[in-house]
Amino acid sequence: MSDVDLAVSRSRRHTARWAAISLGVVLLLFVAVLATRKSAADKQAESPLLGKQAPSLTGSGLDGSQVSLASMHGKWVVLNFMASWCVPCRDEHPELVKFTQRHQAAADATVLGVIFDDTQPNVRRFFADLGGSWPVVDDPGGHTALDFGVRGPPESFLVDPNGFVVWKGIGQVNADGLDKLLREGKARGA
Amino acid sequence: MSGKWRGRLPWLLMGAVLVVALVIGSQGRSGPMTEAQRVKHIASEIRCPTCRNQSAAESDAAAAKAVRDEIDRRVRAGQSDGEIVAFMVSRYGSDILLKPEGSGVASLVWALPVVAVVVALFGLGVAFRRWRSRPGVDVSAEDRALVERELQREDA
Repeated sequence: MSDVDLAVSRSRRHTARWAAISLGVVLLLFVAVLATRKSAADKQAESPLLGKQAPSLTGSGLDGSQVSLASMHGKWVVLNFMASWCVPCRDEHPELVKFTQRHQAAADATVLGVIFDDTQPNVRRFFADLGGSWPVVDDPGGHTALDFGVRGPPESFLVDPNGFVVWKGIGQVNADGLDKLLREGKARGA
Repeated sequence: MSGKWRGRLPWLLMGAVLVVALVIGSQGRSGPMTEAQRVKHIASEIRCPTCRNQSAAESDAAAAKAVRDEIDRRVRAGQSDGEIVAFMVSRYGSDILLKPEGSGVASLVWALPVVAVVVALFGLGVAFRRWRSRPGVDVSAEDRALVERELQREDA
């Protein structure tokens, strides 16, 4: 092999080594970022409503009665936008059941469901299959979803006993994550 | 017509068409918009909440229809375009707007391409100047010997 070929070969090896090192560093950073991300259960999503009074919410419940967010004043409310066709909603539902059971005795927190782009009969079947007895409001025109800036289910908001939005989550929630948020909220003196 | 002018005629025609198109395009609407036109115009600036990159005016999704209904209700209530857009931003945040805002951090979206073009042009100018003024490359005896060896190897 000539001097020129050797020099070219050396230069190529040099470039390849640096490319491999750079790629490795990028991959490591990527893995580190993913590994240190908070789980969806306690990850706060951005919303202009955070720290503000929750928009008024009134609608027809699954049993035909009128349900409103204002009537739950004095309790922590997990406002959960859901649909029966939404697989993550189906997955998170047992966690919401667990959450309501934990707070049944103290009656300090509850869940209020809002139907997102679905029908009452479908949601009735969903509850009959998976359990849960919290009020669920119909939102036929999608106006409640718009008032809360919801893009797709499941999305949840935590509303404090004074009616202020203190947290928004996109994706599934779990009972432990919600309880942690509640403890933090109570510690802040809400 | 001389050959010189005949050659330039297509360019002149193209320039004239461009100027006319720009003048027509920059003219505002002749009269005030109807309520339906206003709804469509505002909805065309709002992103459909459940779609990726479609406006609320174009999408058939239920959420886009809810946005159109809300705009319609507010237009009928006498709100201005700015007030309606501000309401949407107060619910979804500024990323509900299809066009980024011209203020704050979002203004970088408009400013950065201009800065990039200016920097690129400056860089090209500097590079051209340097290439033009670069003196002849010094070739060492060692380089000459290397080339000589390679040429002999090619001939062999």
